[in-house]
Amino acid sequence: MSTEQILSSDGIPLEISLKKAERKNKFRAVMLVGPLFLFLIITYVFPIGDMLFRSIDDRKITQMLPNTFTAIEKWDGQDLPGEPVYAALYEDLAYLKKNKTYGKIIARLNYEKGGFSSLIKKTVRKLGKFEEGNYKEQFIEVNKRWGQNDYLVSLKNAAPNWTFAKYLKGVDLKYDQNGSIVEQPEDRRIHKVLWLRTLKVAFWVTIFCFILAYPISYLLATLPMKYSNLLMICVLLPFWTSLLVRTSSWMVLLQQQGPINDLIVWLGFAANDARPELMYNVIGTFVAMTQILLPFMVLPLYSVMKTISPSLMRAGKSLGGTPFVAFRKVYFPLTIPGIGAGSLLVFILAIGYYITPALVGGASGSLISNTIAYHMKSSLDWSFAAALGTMLLVGVLTIYWIYNKLVGIDNIKLG
Amino acid sequence: MKKLSKLLLALSFVLSITTSAFAVTVVSWGGAYTESQKLGYGDPTAKKLGIPVNWVDYTGGLSEIKAQKEAGKITWDIIDVYAKDTIIGCDEGIFVEFDFDKDFAPAPDGTKASDDFFTGMPSKCAVGNILYSWNFAYNKNNVKGTPKSVKDFFNTKKFPGKRAIYKGAMSSIEIAQAAMGTKAGKGGDKIYNKLAADGGVDKAIAKIKALCEDPKGGCVFWNAGAQPPELLANGEVVMATGWNGRFFNAQMEGTPIVQVWDAQILDYEYFAMVKGGPNDANGKAMKVLREMTSTEGLAGSAKYIAYAPWRKSSIAIMEAGEPWYKDGKTSMVQHMPTAPANTKNYILMNPEFWADNQDEIGEKWEAMKAGL
Repeated sequence: MSTEQILSSDGIPLEISLKKAERKNKFRAVMLVGPLFLFLIITYVFPIGDMLFRSIDDRKITQMLPNTFTAIEKWDGQDLPGEPVYAALYEDLAYLKKNKTYGKIIARLNYEKGGFSSLIKKTVRKLGKFEEGNYKEQFIEVNKRWGQNDYLVSLKNAAPNWTFAKYLKGVDLKYDQNGSIVEQPEDRRIHKVLWLRTLKVAFWVTIFCFILAYPISYLLATLPMKYSNLLMICVLLPFWTSLLVRTSSWMVLLQQQGPINDLIVWLGFAANDARPELMYNVIGTFVAMTQILLPFMVLPLYSVMKTISPSLMRAGKSLGGTPFVAFRKVYFPLTIPGIGAGSLLVFILAIGYYITPALVGGASGSLISNTIAYHMKSSLDWSFAAALGTMLLVGVLTIYWIYNKLVGIDNIKLG
Repeated sequence: MKKLSKLLLALSFVLSITTSAFAVTVVSWGGAYTESQKLGYGDPTAKKLGIPVNWVDYTGGLSEIKAQKEAGKITWDIIDVYAKDTIIGCDEGIFVEFDFDKDFAPAPDGTKASDDFFTGMPSKCAVGNILYSWNFAYNKNNVKGTPKSVKDFFNTKKFPGKRAIYKGAMSSIEIAQAAMGTKAGKGGDKIYNKLAADGGVDKAIAKIKALCEDPKGGCVFWNAGAQPPELLANGEVVMATGWNGRFFNAQMEGTPIVQVWDAQILDYEYFAMVKGGPNDANGKAMKVLREMTSTEGLAGSAKYIAYAPWRKSSIAIMEAGEPWYKDGKTSMVQHMPTAPANTKNYILMNPEFWADNQDEIGEKWEAMKAGL
């Protein structure tokens, strides 16, 4: 084998000089992709990771009530715990009172069980009067709720550092005093209903959007340029209008004394004193959401239909098919990628909607996203909001996965 | 050209820094309410102290300020909040605790600040600014007869038609309890005692459910304060609960609605000051807050909206200055939720009850709504 090296013009071995050039190129490529990569990490990976973490992280309260939780771990949750638990609780609360940080455990415990807020506050106020020994009696004397099993079970449930309790709550389950999973009391089972309702609304809105968008897209794709342009503007115009404006316009149109109802009465379909309710029920939600999400179905369908050559339909007919058969066997299968893309877009957007249904849907308009917003803004139970958000995310990914299995994600076409 | 745009950019950057450093940022609910605050005491305060006051709108809740605090970049100084939020914010260490009589101005006659308002504050971090009311109203063109009491709100035989109710349980279960015949007692004590008793909340929620399922009744749930007068004006509902200031504004615009004050729920709006806000350390935020909550300051906002200033001494100023409303011909004191004629049977919103029970009641309430 020859040991002679091939040299480049400036005397450096070709291999090295090639590697150098390659490195430069690689560096350039990384620099080009880098910003986008960072952007993805900062805006997607990090927040979603934070959300996942938050939904199971429960360490803050463990750090604030260390003695209590160590003591309560030995308790079996049946009869009231003994003196050591109360003594430890006294020690922790006294420490928190001294540092004025007891406020932070209040909110956390109140999520576990309503009434803890005032219970802790009242107890802390009277803590100065406690005498040494016999803490159990003194606690119960300050407030009889310290003698109720429920409150101490809730305290025990708050002890682990990491917990899936929020996920259980998201499907109306909870831990009981033995640590086994049971259903929430009947009058507090709310989340399952909301999940089902959210899916139902998203499903029907997708169906309605499809029914309306298909002919529109067909017209858009087949009409001569000058008409289809005009039609395109009609599709896009609402797209550029604020969501709230469109929702409130629907509220004006759909109300019982509104123009659509006037028209129905004038045409004689309903008596003046028995006007149909078009809003503050599911009808309102479906109508407004379908209109708002329609462009997301029209655009993918249109871009797919645009690429289908009209000669294919003619070929189908010339081979003896009726127009319907030609449509069903030739045209429709070719539009499936567009249908897939549109449906997926509309469904995923619809599943996260909440302003529109809240405004026009009345009692039926509260969906799972409203609950997330409520826990973000009002109750400040961010870990529960994070758990619900994660469940929603997993749900969407599952739908994506099923879609991939059934239709194949490569078949999706946005244009 | 490039130089010019760079210069402009630098200039706007400097400007944004200086304005944010000098102006005290007050965060409130927006709309006619913020307008009344700005005209009533915001602008006069800024003029008097020479400290610009910057108004920002938000939709309530502590999530934004909590996020600002967690991110370590606080931009808000003073926030207009509900009572329960002052409690939660105080517990979580978001707000500054006040030394009430030292921090706030005495009345003109020398009465201590703490003796000048109607009741005590729900937490050490709160200073009241207005009293408003959750009452109900009807459109006199659409109702035969005159609803007089809270029982009439639930009486669908005598007054058929749909009702508008707040989307949350807050205020709704209180009037339901009152409509079951419970007298308010001193500041609504009896109502809250009944609600706190075993099964009390369930009964009240059942009462609302019955109203919503009644074929002669039915419910529309409202979100935004502007909705109740609108729903009444366009005949969508025959009666609606709502905020008295919104009803008043609609009346001033000529809508034929009448307010009913029986079992009204009096509620405070509070200011709270953010701990570690941009103007906390330099004391400007406190100065502005002191001036805005002075006797004249609070009376000023009642010129623009029918919410009552919490200081008794402010009412005296208004009485002396009638007609106080900005149109120069409407007497305001009679429209205040605190006027004697309006407080024959009233409930004082109990923030402690709600801080304790909001999540649990909220779930029961949503479960009821989901079953409609």
